[in-house]
Amino acid sequence: MSVAWVGSQPVSLTDAIRNAAKLLGSSRCPVFTLDADVHGTRSAIALAERLGGAYDHAMGEVLAREVALFTDHGGMFTTPGEARRRSSLIVIVGDIPAAHHDLLQAWAGSQPDLGDRHKRSWFHIDGADTPRAATFARKLKATPLRAEGQSLGSVLGVLRAGLQNRATAVSVSNFDRFRKALAGALFPVFVFSGASGEAPGLVMLQGLIADLNKTGRASSVFLPADDDAWGTALTSLWMTGFPPRTGFSNSLPSYDPGRWDIQRMIRDKEADLHVWMSTRGGETPPKGGRIALISLSKTDAPTPGAKVTISVGKPGIDHDAVSYSSRIGTFRAVPAGKPSELPNISSIINRLAEALPGQRALPC
Amino acid sequence: MLIRLTGGEVVDPVNGATSKRDVWIRDGVLADAAKGEKPDEIHDVSGCIVMAGAIDIHSHIGGGNVNTARLLLPEHHRAHQPRPANTPLSNAGWSTFQTGTLYAQMGFTTVVEPAMPPYTALHTHLELADIPIIDKATLAILGNDDFTLSLLRNNKSTAMLDDYIAWVVGSTRALGVKVINAGAAAAFKENVRSFSLDDVVPEYGLSSRKIVKSLQASVNRLGIPHPLHVHANNLGIAGSADTAAATIAASEGVPMHLAHLQFYGYGTGGKRKFSSEAARLAEAVNGNPDVTIDIGQVMFGQTVTISSDVMRQFSAIGNANPKKTVIMDGDGNGGGGIVPYRYKQDYYGSLQWAVGLELFLLIDDPWRVFFTTDHPNGAPFTAYPELFELLMSSDARDAKSTELNATALGMTTLASVRREYTLEEIAIMTRAAPAKLLGLKDRGHLGTGAIADVAVYRKGKDIAKMFREAALVFKNGDLVVKNGKVTHYRFGKTLRLNPPPDKAMVKRMQAFHEERYGLSLDWFTFPDSAIHREDPFAEVPWNS
Repeated sequence: MSVAWVGSQPVSLTDAIRNAAKLLGSSRCPVFTLDADVHGTRSAIALAERLGGAYDHAMGEVLAREVALFTDHGGMFTTPGEARRRSSLIVIVGDIPAAHHDLLQAWAGSQPDLGDRHKRSWFHIDGADTPRAATFARKLKATPLRAEGQSLGSVLGVLRAGLQNRATAVSVSNFDRFRKALAGALFPVFVFSGASGEAPGLVMLQGLIADLNKTGRASSVFLPADDDAWGTALTSLWMTGFPPRTGFSNSLPSYDPGRWDIQRMIRDKEADLHVWMSTRGGETPPKGGRIALISLSKTDAPTPGAKVTISVGKPGIDHDAVSYSSRIGTFRAVPAGKPSELPNISSIINRLAEALPGQRALPC
Repeated sequence: MLIRLTGGEVVDPVNGATSKRDVWIRDGVLADAAKGEKPDEIHDVSGCIVMAGAIDIHSHIGGGNVNTARLLLPEHHRAHQPRPANTPLSNAGWSTFQTGTLYAQMGFTTVVEPAMPPYTALHTHLELADIPIIDKATLAILGNDDFTLSLLRNNKSTAMLDDYIAWVVGSTRALGVKVINAGAAAAFKENVRSFSLDDVVPEYGLSSRKIVKSLQASVNRLGIPHPLHVHANNLGIAGSADTAAATIAASEGVPMHLAHLQFYGYGTGGKRKFSSEAARLAEAVNGNPDVTIDIGQVMFGQTVTISSDVMRQFSAIGNANPKKTVIMDGDGNGGGGIVPYRYKQDYYGSLQWAVGLELFLLIDDPWRVFFTTDHPNGAPFTAYPELFELLMSSDARDAKSTELNATALGMTTLASVRREYTLEEIAIMTRAAPAKLLGLKDRGHLGTGAIADVAVYRKGKDIAKMFREAALVFKNGDLVVKNGKVTHYRFGKTLRLNPPPDKAMVKRMQAFHEERYGLSLDWFTFPDSAIHREDPFAEVPWNS
């Protein structure tokens, strides 16, 4: 089975590495779309630094929104484990990605063993802009909190004002029940994701939580829209000091979510080479822009439009991995589920670096 | 490989008086003078001081909270960016890569991250593994987790507590144990807003004192070389000196290390009800040989406070500068708060600065006082050179004092203290004593057989310059810094204890995690291979 192609022609891995290194070596502005576990991400960022490139995650849009909550505001958070053990009141905020539904259902099937130990109750803050959210919330028997025609951000604003006993122009369904539940819970937890709504809504949510903490306790569980993307953000932070949408101009890293939006750079032809990584498989590079493409992806066929394609293994399936897991709110070592001969992306990136002029190994 | 450093003034109090002598390195280890053998390298270090590589026992250099601070404050990183260098990612502001580079350039070769929540140990070790050049170590946080508190509440045997602590230390690859505001994080989740040594955690009916004493005794029984590392209650508040004095008294003949004592050196005197109690605390430390402390010196300027003391950090939200914070109620010992802060040369900042210096200068024994800024809480570690100067020159202190709030300084003894640290005392405080405190017999001195972690400083009147840019630094005999610049990367080890886990405790842990978290234990543990570096850990022996 072929694992490397130049154009549509199968080649040896060594030839593919040589061709890809040639493209990288001659690029004035390479950009990297990341989608890997921690170690793949480490290598990719080190290569981007070596080449003076820029990087973002494949889920860069929603990740940027999640990152902005922290860079612009901050907030109060707790872990999934603490929420499960301590919170008798869970408030789902907007749409929670399907990847996290199992986690919430597991909480629904358990009883808090710390704190007030009351039977867990559920609410769901819903907006007109999150139409899919209610279906899952109904499965959890969550009491809806919504206001006719209002966006999630608006509902959060109205709730916050109402809890401060301020007059509001619109009312939120089940508000009194919600207020009573908050008063009776020792450690209510709001669960949200970057997919839950727009940034101002997430900031409003944190404002509401801050209000509750003036006299009592409350917190939030942040479930990233994509665990791997959040893992990439954390890895990027310790390696460069910055989250993704970082570039290495003049050898110094700089973080700028507008300037280093990789898709925009490709569209605007600011970049001349796109290194597209996709270890999860079944993905295709985003459309738009026609610049040279190197594909490092889990695939058994050449990536359409790629000058070089190298097939890599899926972390945690083809090889051992370290990935972010929102089940525990931190990194986890994941043994290979079905070990294969497919190379891990980190080893391929290191071979690419060694094939570049200078032949220096990467620091990770 | 045989290396000879010749002509330098060797400051190595463990092995004798300061003298001009050659230092020999053979294959990464300090060696006796090689007679009749030609060295592969000779470095003429005339006019230089030669010391062992420095050891920092308390610096927040990696892990979840440090990384969250990076996330919260990308705008701060530009201020940290150095001039371009030739090593990968060494220009990346406030990154792991820059951390190793900057420490090495100052002659530091071992640094302890003092606050690792057990559940995020893998994250901490991933970061530490990306810090180049230096060796690292971590302390596992205990004392707010349900398992420890339940054992104590239920009067389980000391043997069971010991087995649990040994399991935590082993499975998290820690070098020791730290307790942070014992019981307060658990109490804060139940809306307790202040917590002192004899206050009780509601859920468990245990006082903070009981938790500290239990952990201290267990660490001692287990033979963990580093005594329990205590972040006491009431950090940063006026009157905290009483808590610190009570905690010092609670050592009761068993070794205890108190972290960042400066942040507890405050009384309630004066118009502002915020005064120095440094002299009283120094006296308490001087009179109690079981206690060691580090300072947590405040220096002026912008920084960010990072602490797992979530209750204290929550109470500091109003002082955030800029106005954004992260407060995390973590699992058990995890979590904490990130609160950016600017130390101003006003009354409060001036007093804090003076309290730290008073403690440094009034505690007599350099073997029991440790050089830290609690990076980045009192100041970034990059402020160390200026701090060395303040300790070694009363003129430098006087000069700085003229810029500060006179009323605050008038509340302290600083002006009357003329002590100046000698190079030998600096070598003890930053080399020999940390090695002894951590149980690292292979470093902290330049005796034959020690690892060749060597820092060479060009002697000069400008003390800060001397310590900012080491002339040469060897890590395990490898020349990594020349003229204050890192020449190349190598990756050091993370130093750890490796107690064999008690089988019954492992079973208990499996059952606990499955029952309480609905997850098997392997979600919380990891193999060494997860770090992706060759031999990332080095074992340190237990005390017999």
